[in-house]
Amino acid sequence: MKNLQDRSVDMGEFVAMPDDDLIICRCEEITKGEIRRAVHDGMTSLIEIKRYLRSGMGLCQGQTCAKLVRAVVAAECKASPAQFELAQPRSPARPIEMRTFANEE
Amino acid sequence: MNNSADVIIIGGGVIGCSTAYNLAKQGVSCLVLEKYEIGHGGSSRNGGGVRQSARDVRELPLAMYGVKNLWPTLSEELGADVEYCQKGNLRLGKTEKHMEILRGLSGNSAKAGLDVWMVSGEEAREICPYMSDEVIGASYCPTDGHANPMMTTLAFFRRARQLGVRFITGESVLSIEKIRGKARRVITDQSVYEAETIVIATGYESRGIASSVGIDIPMKKVLLEALVTEEQPRMFDQMLGTAEADFYGHQSKHGSFVFGGSSGIEDYTIDTENSVTTPITAPCICRGIIKYFPILQNAKIVRTWAGWIDETADKVPVISRVSEVPGLVIAAGFTGHGFGISPIVGLLVSELAIGKETTLDLSEFTYDRFKAKM
Amino acid sequence: MNRYEFIVIGAGPAGLSGAIEAAKAGMKVLVIDENHRPGGQLFKQIHKFFGSREHKAKIRGFMIGEKLLEEATSLGVEVRLDTTVMGIYKNREIICTKDDKIEHIKGDHILVAAGASENMIPFEGWTLPGVIGAGAAQTMMNLHGVRPGNKILMVGSGNVGLVVSYQLMQAGCDVVAIIDAAPRIGGYGVHASKVARTGVPFHLSHTVVKANGDDHVTSATIGKVDSNWKIVEGSQKTLEVDTICIAVGLSPMSQLLRTAGCLMAEVPQKGGLIPVCSDYTQTSLPGIYAAGDVAGIEEASSAMIQGRIAGAQAARNSGYISDEEFLVRVTDLKKSLGQLREGMFGHEMKGRTDIVKTEEGFTLSKSLLEKGYIDESELASFPAAAACENEYEVHPIIECTQNIPCNPCQDVCSKGCIIVGDKITKLPIISDTATCTGCAMCVASCPGQAIFLVKKSEDGSAIISLPYEFLPIPQKGDKGMALDRKGESVCEAEVVLVQSAKALDHTVVLSIMVPAKYADKARFFRAGGEKL
Repeated sequence: MKNLQDRSVDMGEFVAMPDDDLIICRCEEITKGEIRRAVHDGMTSLIEIKRYLRSGMGLCQGQTCAKLVRAVVAAECKASPAQFELAQPRSPARPIEMRTFANEE
Repeated sequence: MNNSADVIIIGGGVIGCSTAYNLAKQGVSCLVLEKYEIGHGGSSRNGGGVRQSARDVRELPLAMYGVKNLWPTLSEELGADVEYCQKGNLRLGKTEKHMEILRGLSGNSAKAGLDVWMVSGEEAREICPYMSDEVIGASYCPTDGHANPMMTTLAFFRRARQLGVRFITGESVLSIEKIRGKARRVITDQSVYEAETIVIATGYESRGIASSVGIDIPMKKVLLEALVTEEQPRMFDQMLGTAEADFYGHQSKHGSFVFGGSSGIEDYTIDTENSVTTPITAPCICRGIIKYFPILQNAKIVRTWAGWIDETADKVPVISRVSEVPGLVIAAGFTGHGFGISPIVGLLVSELAIGKETTLDLSEFTYDRFKAKM
Repeated sequence: MNRYEFIVIGAGPAGLSGAIEAAKAGMKVLVIDENHRPGGQLFKQIHKFFGSREHKAKIRGFMIGEKLLEEATSLGVEVRLDTTVMGIYKNREIICTKDDKIEHIKGDHILVAAGASENMIPFEGWTLPGVIGAGAAQTMMNLHGVRPGNKILMVGSGNVGLVVSYQLMQAGCDVVAIIDAAPRIGGYGVHASKVARTGVPFHLSHTVVKANGDDHVTSATIGKVDSNWKIVEGSQKTLEVDTICIAVGLSPMSQLLRTAGCLMAEVPQKGGLIPVCSDYTQTSLPGIYAAGDVAGIEEASSAMIQGRIAGAQAARNSGYISDEEFLVRVTDLKKSLGQLREGMFGHEMKGRTDIVKTEEGFTLSKSLLEKGYIDESELASFPAAAACENEYEVHPIIECTQNIPCNPCQDVCSKGCIIVGDKITKLPIISDTATCTGCAMCVASCPGQAIFLVKKSEDGSAIISLPYEFLPIPQKGDKGMALDRKGESVCEAEVVLVQSAKALDHTVVLSIMVPAKYADKARFFRAGGEKL
């Protein structure tokens, strides 16, 4: 985290929007509204949002949705997307069966 | 920005957030300083066990209190689903040596009043039909269980914030300063904060911060690793472990399996700046799992990760007022089993911070208990 | 544990080029790719490439891929396909799959050339079957021979959107429209023209609002956007499509670099999060290099050069080539890379909307930027596109009006009719001394399909020779309509010659006869009699 962030900053009333049911994370079926609500609950780190909602935890591990989630969060915070650090990728780079991973040459 | 509060908590993990929540409930103004994001350290990396069995008996009263009084209603209380599941804990063994270890562990806990007992291999398979025939027995504690550590941490954070706790992230604490004999100031790389009471709840970073006021908590960093699978059909709800702790884990509400483990040489793992996985541990954990649960061999692993535990010299935490530094409270050194007792620890630390008599006796967890062998 | 001097992750243009460069210097190289076929994105690029001869211009992408692989294997490079690298760990150790096992391999040097993945935009109905990435559609068509759908809406007018639209049509799909939220077409004007002259309309400043349908796409609703990216009231219209192709940019696939712990930086013009690299592809971790799209979204030609720089680095750092030799090589390579980055679509210019003139000072065609075709009135400012002195002699008309690094037209004319010069972004001009023989090599070789041959006759007819890459190939004698630059019928036409020699490399040169007064308009042919 590079920026200092006071999480008590009032995000304002959560105002429902007509596209709140738009799916943003397809693997886990997380909607725009859920992400916006999490921001209003004080979660402004993309890593926190991922852990809270599971967006980015599915099979593609955020390859599809990471930038999209960031865009929703940035818009809600009225800030530039560049200010939000993307969550950290980890190995395995692709899903791998346990038996393969267990089977070292 | 008002940089003072009644209590400053350094560390936005589950212990810090749980403490903040409990303080807020009691009407005490509270400020939490976190270097990274909420739940950055062990709080988001652990295996989610809410376990009483196989603990050091000193921790048992805390674990049992939490399971009895706090965990069952925690989701309701915090207004978020922490996915607490109380369907028991099976600690498995394949050899006679394992059985000896398990008998020892369960015997000690049973003596201290825990409902844990030994079961045979068949009985274990009745409880959990997916384990291999190689399992010859297990210890079973029906009131153990698991929960979601990331959700729990964020649920405490969310609720505490709603109750008025101020959280500031991106703040790196450099030192604590005493003013006129009392711990009062927290110096970060950007600011100075002041409080009546300061709580250090920063996991493995606690040693460094405490040293700035002349306090040492003998602890070392040990790298543990974990992995998670894709969603699987619902198989079992028990928390699982093994006699020699090759792995531990559970099937989450989501359906994915979360397993933790170690390589055997984790005490010597090279220190990297970010806690990253070693290339040898995950395959080792997988082999362990497959031996006990052959059905999982085709489950796909989607992610592995690592985390540093703060292992104290006697493997139980420091939850203590620091008498030689009035105003300082330390809640660290949970040695990899802090999550399960985090709700009760939050309550106890809030009591320490306010100066109330604590709900449970904490004399085993004092900061200055570490003595030489003779 | 197996140890290689050079491990290359990704057998695309950057990876293979890096492997070749290192192997030439004498290194033991291992290339790993998770795909079944090597070549990365090249294996599905069926169009001819831009650039100059050294950048492999006018050669079709998939052939470049095959050539690179051949060269690599002939140099003794070990290539493992269907092998996924799971992670890069400390001490440059990787774990990769090997059938039903994993293998630990260490590298003295590792080149990460993992490429990029497609971006997405969420909109109502985007999870319906029928919504597909343009890259995915391209793989489906060109690799698996399956049409992604029948009636396509292409969202995005960058090069990917334009090129894939053309390929969709070649595969027999009907591209109903190309839209882009920006007010200008993002890709090369010539790519847009290829598509526009077949009749595909462009709707700029439009975005997709909704994909309609119950269990698959049955239509798409699009709307105009204002300067605040809000949909303009009443601007919505619905297009009957069964497929919505998304071509809204690429992002580097940087997972391996990030798990390794490389320092990264957010650079939107290069696609997002890229590794912080030295001039010579070295990341913040010693011995780990990054080249190609993973280091910043560009083109395959740039990827090949960057790969070679990385290979040279590895060779120098392993003592296979001297510092001096390294400097000589990379100076050359950097110069070549610089050439590719010049012009209107180069690095520095990317995203700029204020460019109104070419390097030569000609006014850029506004119509080309906003509608995908040059308006006739704008052609007069471009010397090579205007009519020549003697229209009764066969002569080339070059409708190339944007500065792109490209010069195969110059090299391919044996008579020296076409001149680009040393600075390959310069617009081609037609020599006033050389004589055109009408061989049509230029028509077939221009990667932008922007060159035509025109010859008027005393009898009031004219013959236009144009590049044609659709099936079925028309036959001599076929009658049909000539279409203008925006794909509208202008007059009847008859096919008088069909050239398809091997040297033309599958670009048929179609010569059609039209009334002379339409010689300046007729730029495409549609068989059959209906006036559109």
